[in-house]
Amino acid sequence: MPLATDKELSDFLKSVEKRAFKRAVYAVRNDDAALDIVQDAMIRLAEKYADRPAAELPLVFQRILSNATMDWFRREKVRGAVMQNLSEFSSGGEDDDFDLLETLHALEDTLGTESAADAVSRAQILRIVDAAVSDLPARQREAFLLRYWEEFDVSETAEVMGCSQGSVKTHCSRAVQALAKALKIKGITP
Amino acid sequence: MNSSHYESDTHALEARLAARLAGSLTAVAQAVPHDISERLRVAREQAVKRAGLARESALVLAPAVGFSAAGAAVLVGFGAWRQRFAVAMPLVVLIAGLVAIGHFTAREQVLTIADIDAQLLSDTLPPSAYSDPGFAEFLRTPPPLQ
Repeated sequence: MPLATDKELSDFLKSVEKRAFKRAVYAVRNDDAALDIVQDAMIRLAEKYADRPAAELPLVFQRILSNATMDWFRREKVRGAVMQNLSEFSSGGEDDDFDLLETLHALEDTLGTESAADAVSRAQILRIVDAAVSDLPARQREAFLLRYWEEFDVSETAEVMGCSQGSVKTHCSRAVQALAKALKIKGITP
Repeated sequence: MNSSHYESDTHALEARLAARLAGSLTAVAQAVPHDISERLRVAREQAVKRAGLARESALVLAPAVGFSAAGAAVLVGFGAWRQRFAVAMPLVVLIAGLVAIGHFTAREQVLTIADIDAQLLSDTLPPSAYSDPGFAEFLRTPPPLQ
């Protein structure tokens, strides 16, 4: 397999840097710290894994980013405070599915259109989604972002998170349920 | 059966909603402030530069000792002839050592024999005396008690 060239590395980092920054912001809730974490992850990738094939870079980078974020928490000694946020949401049921469907319709109705009248509403919804993701418990958020935003499969997500595939499925399901519930509370309904 | 159908519907619904939410997050991420985008760009360029330096230093360090799959140390980065030379060198040294030891032993034997010959020739007793049966009997006979 051909090794990543400078251009491939640059293109990869360009494609992933903003998502990585947001992921770090969700975790540490501080823009400067998030930038430091992303920069640290980029440097680690470049120095230690520049000889890897380009196809391996996404998985390696996400793992490095997770480790860099954990290192930041260790340095700041605030991990305990973050872990307090790990409240679990109630398990899904028929009512939750109804919420999911309602939320999906509301999102498709609002975000799927580009008319001027909906522009403000769209920006508001993006802010609400942003806040809802930010409020997710850390592990649920990480699973959700890796699985659906980075588009990793379940086994890759489990590898990055260092947990079982069953845990990834559970975290993802709970995250989606929690987001649907949070959006409904914010009034995003048809 | 209804239960599994219901479950797959739930998963499909979750996947659709998750995809929509992820799409929204992408829009959120693209809207990061300009200064953050610039700092990310600088970080990216630094990382690519570091990658280049790391590759260069790896090339400089290439002729170092590595390990083969069998665990034996092999020389990495040298030509095949140098590897063959490195393998043959201990054998050459061993053979040269054996030849030197053999030569030294033969020389010691020659010198010993030459020394015996020299003592025989320089003695007052002629060498032909040793072939005389009477002298041989004299040598075998113990000396008389005083």
